Amino acid sequence: MKKILFMLIGVSLLFAGPVFSSDTIKIGLMCPLTGSWASEGKDMRQIVELLAGQVNEEGGLLGKQVEIVVADDGGDPRTAALAAQRLASRGIVGVIGTYGSSVTEASQNIYAATNTLQIANGSTSVRLTEKGLPYFFRTCPRDDEQGRVAVEAMLEKGYKRIAILHDSTTYARGLADEARTLLADADAQVVFFDALTPGEQDYTTILTQIRRDEPDVVFFTGYYPEAGMLLRQKMEMGLNVPFIGGDANNNPDLVKIAGNRAAKGFRFLSPPVPQDLPSPVAQDFLAAYIEKYGQAPGSIWAVLAGDGFRVLAKAIAETGSTETATLAAYLKNDLQAFPGLTGMINFDEKGDRIGDVYRVYEVDEEGNFILQM
Amino acid sequence: MELFFTQLTNGLAVGGIYALIALGYTMVYGVLKLINFAHGDLFTIGAYLGLTLLASLGLTGYVGTAGGLLFLALMVMGLVGIIGILLDRAAYKPLRNSPRLSAVVSALGASIVFSNTIMLVYGPSPKVYPQGLLPTHVFYLFGLPVPIMRIIILATSLFLMIGLYVFIQKTRTGTAIRAAAIDQGAARLMGINVDRVIMLVFFIGPALGGAAGLMVGLHYGQINFTMGWIYGLKAFTAAILGGIGNIPGAMVGGLLLGVIESMGAAYISNAWKDAIAFFVLILILIVRPTGLLGERVAEKI
Repeated sequence: MKKILFMLIGVSLLFAGPVFSSDTIKIGLMCPLTGSWASEGKDMRQIVELLAGQVNEEGGLLGKQVEIVVADDGGDPRTAALAAQRLASRGIVGVIGTYGSSVTEASQNIYAATNTLQIANGSTSVRLTEKGLPYFFRTCPRDDEQGRVAVEAMLEKGYKRIAILHDSTTYARGLADEARTLLADADAQVVFFDALTPGEQDYTTILTQIRRDEPDVVFFTGYYPEAGMLLRQKMEMGLNVPFIGGDANNNPDLVKIAGNRAAKGFRFLSPPVPQDLPSPVAQDFLAAYIEKYGQAPGSIWAVLAGDGFRVLAKAIAETGSTETATLAAYLKNDLQAFPGLTGMINFDEKGDRIGDVYRVYEVDEEGNFILQM
Repeated sequence: MELFFTQLTNGLAVGGIYALIALGYTMVYGVLKLINFAHGDLFTIGAYLGLTLLASLGLTGYVGTAGGLLFLALMVMGLVGIIGILLDRAAYKPLRNSPRLSAVVSALGASIVFSNTIMLVYGPSPKVYPQGLLPTHVFYLFGLPVPIMRIIILATSLFLMIGLYVFIQKTRTGTAIRAAAIDQGAARLMGINVDRVIMLVFFIGPALGGAAGLMVGLHYGQINFTMGWIYGLKAFTAAILGGIGNIPGAMVGGLLLGVIESMGAAYISNAWKDAIAFFVLILILIVRPTGLLGERVAEKI
């Protein structure tokens, strides 16, 4: 009986889609509007709404206006599961988002069960695309790619004793493990491997431990609020070891938290920020964004949500369809060297973005992020 | 050995802040048998109000850094205290005669309202205190480097805690608070205005929480609207550890929790820091269900 009921619900959902989407093309956006990543979510929303507005001014898609349906995932897996269920039942063509890997992971199966196309923007954990979900894509690179670039950057500087610090989130742990595996084959030693508790203020305990192990460099795979605090307290303790961070540190707030003096010399990996991209698409977008909201987007991750929207819009326009399977096939097979805001975009069979995206940045004494290579 | 002492000072500095916040939990619990779950957010409000006042008044320019900070601390404590009283009026007083669970749910609701209000007013990104206000001196104690701010934080916390203890033990008002904690009905019959006592408790507890928030902001520099959650949880644990309802218990519990955390992180694993702290809490509660100093049940608060 239960099975039949589920099948009925499933079938009715299948038919519900086209009925709802008859007047506008609805695209879902799942982003953290509350919780500790709320500033990322706000940027994601502003970017996607700006781009949707531009598409609508040019006549929309397939002759219809685009409507963005926003759901708040709170940066929290439980809230995300509810948000995903809500979005999936609103007749959306696809969903953009979200930021954290653990949050995305909580929503993946819900979208998969409802055959909803999902394009994540900040979820770099490797296993998200190793599950064989046919309709999952991401515009960000994966952690193993980032781990490779990080290890290369550290070895290139001649560091031998390496400390790795993560924060136990899916993302940071994945990146830390990847770097440790790669370092095992290299001429270097991991002398410290541990996690901090995100959201705390006092990291002197862990910095004292790091000092004891005398590393040449510390690779921190967590997020910018903690990185800022670590840099600041490291300076206050008189600890001079250089820090290199993962891509979640690409946020100007890092420098505000740490202060210019403490942040100077901090290096981190990241896909290039829009300001560093010479492409006219990125420059036009940036100008429009600043005109509308008064300042540039805070981080690259929100811009990657914009790329998610743009590839989806491109796929709808090119295929003339809103069928999930058609769109997914187009993204995997036919989308070639699409000029995204963050560079050329292609997807492989798993839904991962192909190409070398990561760069190394260093903070200068004025707190600017300077592209290194 | 050097590692041990460095971690001890690290733990004591954090523990002092836990203790200060724990006092707010323990005082309210002592009088009302209510866990004020919004207390952590009052701490956050203290940190944000301190930042606003510091930025808008430019106090340190007029009366020097030390005087300015003292005045700032008094203003923050006063304002957060008033917010505490308003919280009681709005969220707890109407439920005074309802089942205790209703008040707990109301407290959780108040906590959500507070943290989201802070987010809407100040925005979701972390805020940063101006730098360079505090001395960054490193002080050498038996050859071990101890940043002077660690000592100032611990000393300020201890000063506020001892001040509160003397106030509760030696003054008439303090006696009234203790009486209301033991038996509200009897206290009322003795001519004590219990409603005023409750109001006072809801002023002092949040004021101390606000002071802790200001100290965190000044010392660590970065504040965010979710920080009250972690500090609140830790302080609540500290209050239980020391014996909830007992003021010296909150102080001991806070300091002890800070030290357990940093020692656990230093000698076992940093990732398991919180798990170790909670494991110790469970052990202590198995041996002493009322907490470390919880035996003086008659002298709750």
